[in-house]
Amino acid sequence: MTFAQQLMTLAALALLAAPAQAEKVLNRANDLSFGGAESLDPLSPNRFYEVNDMIYSRLVRQNDAGEPSPELATSWTSNAGATEWTVTLQPGVTFHDGSTFDAADVAYSLRRIEDPTLESPVSSVLGIIGRVEVKDDLTVKIVLETPHAGLPLLLLDYRVRMIPEGSGPTIGQTPIGTGPFRVESYDPEGTTTLVAFDGYWEGRPLIDRVQFTAIPDSEARNQAMLSRQIDLNSVTRDQLALFKDNPAFQLQSFPAGGWFGIVFRTDTAPYDSAKVRRALRIAVNRQDMMTLMVGADGGTVGCDTPVRADDPYRADLDCPQDVDAARALLAEAGFPDGIDVELTTSDLEPGMVRFAEVFQAQVAPAGIRVAIKLAPSDGYWDDVWMVAPASVTSWGERPADQILNEAWRSGASWNESAYANPAFDALLDQARSTLDPVAARVLYIQAQALLLAEGGTFIPYQEDGRRVLSARVRGIKPLGEDYIRWHLVDLVE
Amino acid sequence: MPRKIAGRLAAAWITLVVIAVVVFVGVELMPGDACTAHLGRDAARAEMLTACRDRMGLDRPPVERFALWAADLAHGDLGVSMKRERPILGIVGPRARNTLILAGAAALAGVPLAILLGFLCGLRREGPFDIVTSTVALVAMTMPEFVVASLLILIFAIWLGWSTGVVTAAYDAPALTLLLATPLPAITLALVYIAHILRMVRSSVIDTVGADFVLMARMKGVPERRIVLRHILPNAILPSISLIGLTLAWLLSGVVIVESVFNYPGIGRLAVNAVADRDLPLIQAIALLFGLFYVLTTLVSDLVAMALNPRLRSLRG
Repeated sequence: MTFAQQLMTLAALALLAAPAQAEKVLNRANDLSFGGAESLDPLSPNRFYEVNDMIYSRLVRQNDAGEPSPELATSWTSNAGATEWTVTLQPGVTFHDGSTFDAADVAYSLRRIEDPTLESPVSSVLGIIGRVEVKDDLTVKIVLETPHAGLPLLLLDYRVRMIPEGSGPTIGQTPIGTGPFRVESYDPEGTTTLVAFDGYWEGRPLIDRVQFTAIPDSEARNQAMLSRQIDLNSVTRDQLALFKDNPAFQLQSFPAGGWFGIVFRTDTAPYDSAKVRRALRIAVNRQDMMTLMVGADGGTVGCDTPVRADDPYRADLDCPQDVDAARALLAEAGFPDGIDVELTTSDLEPGMVRFAEVFQAQVAPAGIRVAIKLAPSDGYWDDVWMVAPASVTSWGERPADQILNEAWRSGASWNESAYANPAFDALLDQARSTLDPVAARVLYIQAQALLLAEGGTFIPYQEDGRRVLSARVRGIKPLGEDYIRWHLVDLVE
Repeated sequence: MPRKIAGRLAAAWITLVVIAVVVFVGVELMPGDACTAHLGRDAARAEMLTACRDRMGLDRPPVERFALWAADLAHGDLGVSMKRERPILGIVGPRARNTLILAGAAALAGVPLAILLGFLCGLRREGPFDIVTSTVALVAMTMPEFVVASLLILIFAIWLGWSTGVVTAAYDAPALTLLLATPLPAITLALVYIAHILRMVRSSVIDTVGADFVLMARMKGVPERRIVLRHILPNAILPSISLIGLTLAWLLSGVVIVESVFNYPGIGRLAVNAVADRDLPLIQAIALLFGLFYVLTTLVSDLVAMALNPRLRSLRG
């Protein structure tokens, strides 16, 4: 472009600015967590989640209580063995390209999870799908390889999105969904623009346009928020003070499923003794630990359960600090003079080192002498995690059934504590084939109680999620990202 | 003279080769590799890790990888980014342009200002203007860029609303759009180096004012204006030229922090992301580019100093 042309463009932009005021534009940031390799393929390991959530739909979505509720599926029923699921679909839904959404698209989208060339992380969650049969335009039958009463819960996964049949090879670049917004331009390292989809089946969105700007630095994102260049940002507890008591912003915190924990390998001495493991975990005042880490109201205290606080299958157990009992257990296990623990951590994520230090101070009165070993953050998951006898771990949110199976079932590939208990596995199997949610809940709670009694992982609390909204944003409830109904979100000046 | 220039060029070339080797070895010494960084927790799944290393050629010995890279480089091929899976030249090119726009804006506005202020301070040594300017310069020198950046955003974007806070223009936006986005980042960059150049010019002006030839000119009755412009100015600026060269080179490394804080889509922000992604070929290309900037600016300032100072031009020197 020549200089004169640039001037003309600028003048044209200035002229356009007047009518453009009527347009409601929501500004968001892309944190470039996949370094520019962000893909609009919902199943890609590099999925551009924030955009995908606005342009694609799931079969089921969670209601405000976290339970599966209809989205593109209107109802679902299973046979008695929880192996065959019949799903009825919403009629009259159109894709962004004008084509009609039907059962063939569902069958295609679900089968694609198993495509080995995608290397999709979702295959570890929904690999149990054996085949998907199209019964008629609006009915599919999902046949599972192993029974799973919680299939609707698994379908809540934020990556299981419906795309048109056969669109797989191009979906990452030319996304076509049934969501409230469609992609107008896509450049993860520059600007990505979404526009309202007039044909959205739940009604046209209230905002006209969404603009994602790449802002990789978290400090820069806060500055952008403060100078009102973006409308929405998730923040850490330490960053909250920047926005507190300022009428230009709304702060929200909500239960989330992320947690730090300490893994004691159950197959390595001295942690192969269940008494030692229990002593290490009951020596801690969990409320104090949470207060020191994230503030008294910064999360929900738990008893070594990895399940998020508002999950229907969460076990609310009791695990008060008991220093005397911890000493006694250690003595019984052959450590009357206390025990030495080498705990490996890293500054991989903010707070991971502090977490180890707080633990160290908390367990000292029980005669547990913790030596903290700092490992480089580079290669931590490769060199330390699943290797060191005792290490700090960090997990993002996962549904109850998924996290219990991924991290504690005997032989699971992410079983970091090498926990192996046939009774625990049997409880999970039984829960998966129990269709009655109340009965299933009892089984999941029994499984979590087993972890508290003899597991190798110390999990004191789940930290809340936090977000900042500019004052003009309406319609976003204090709940996780995938609870948001984007077509109901509005901007008021 | 030509032999001297050839010598400088050879030294510059060797410096670049050394930089390439040091960068490669440095990245090799870090624990983990591009695949463990890329996969995160999935790195525990052996088959995914092997497939990734295989695809990215990480299973070959380091010496072989370095040789392959160097051979491509000789043909002007910077390789392919591991993370972005695109040719590096296309990634680095537009961002290098943006950084040059930012550094250029900072230099064009700042260098003449720094020389002027330093000159005035030196002439009116210990006067009120000198005391105020020198004090402000000292403070500016000691403040880290990220503090200056946050302060400028707070004052000009949040309180006064005269400017946008961070830059939201894309890396491929027209040059003019980016230029219009540069004021705050350019001021942040300029503040520190203006102070450095100002102090250097000031002290050499003070030295020159007391020199014998100035006294001689005064005794001859040369008008004051002519003394200042023809005798003091050229002699005072000469020693500052290599410092200005170094400062300009520093500008390009200072952009790493400033670009990140202001979200300016240049080579500095890219460098931070490339390190986080452990994108080895991209890191090497950026480091090489920074090296090239450094070597070129010092080379140019050396040549300019030679051209202006007859003593440096002698064949013996």
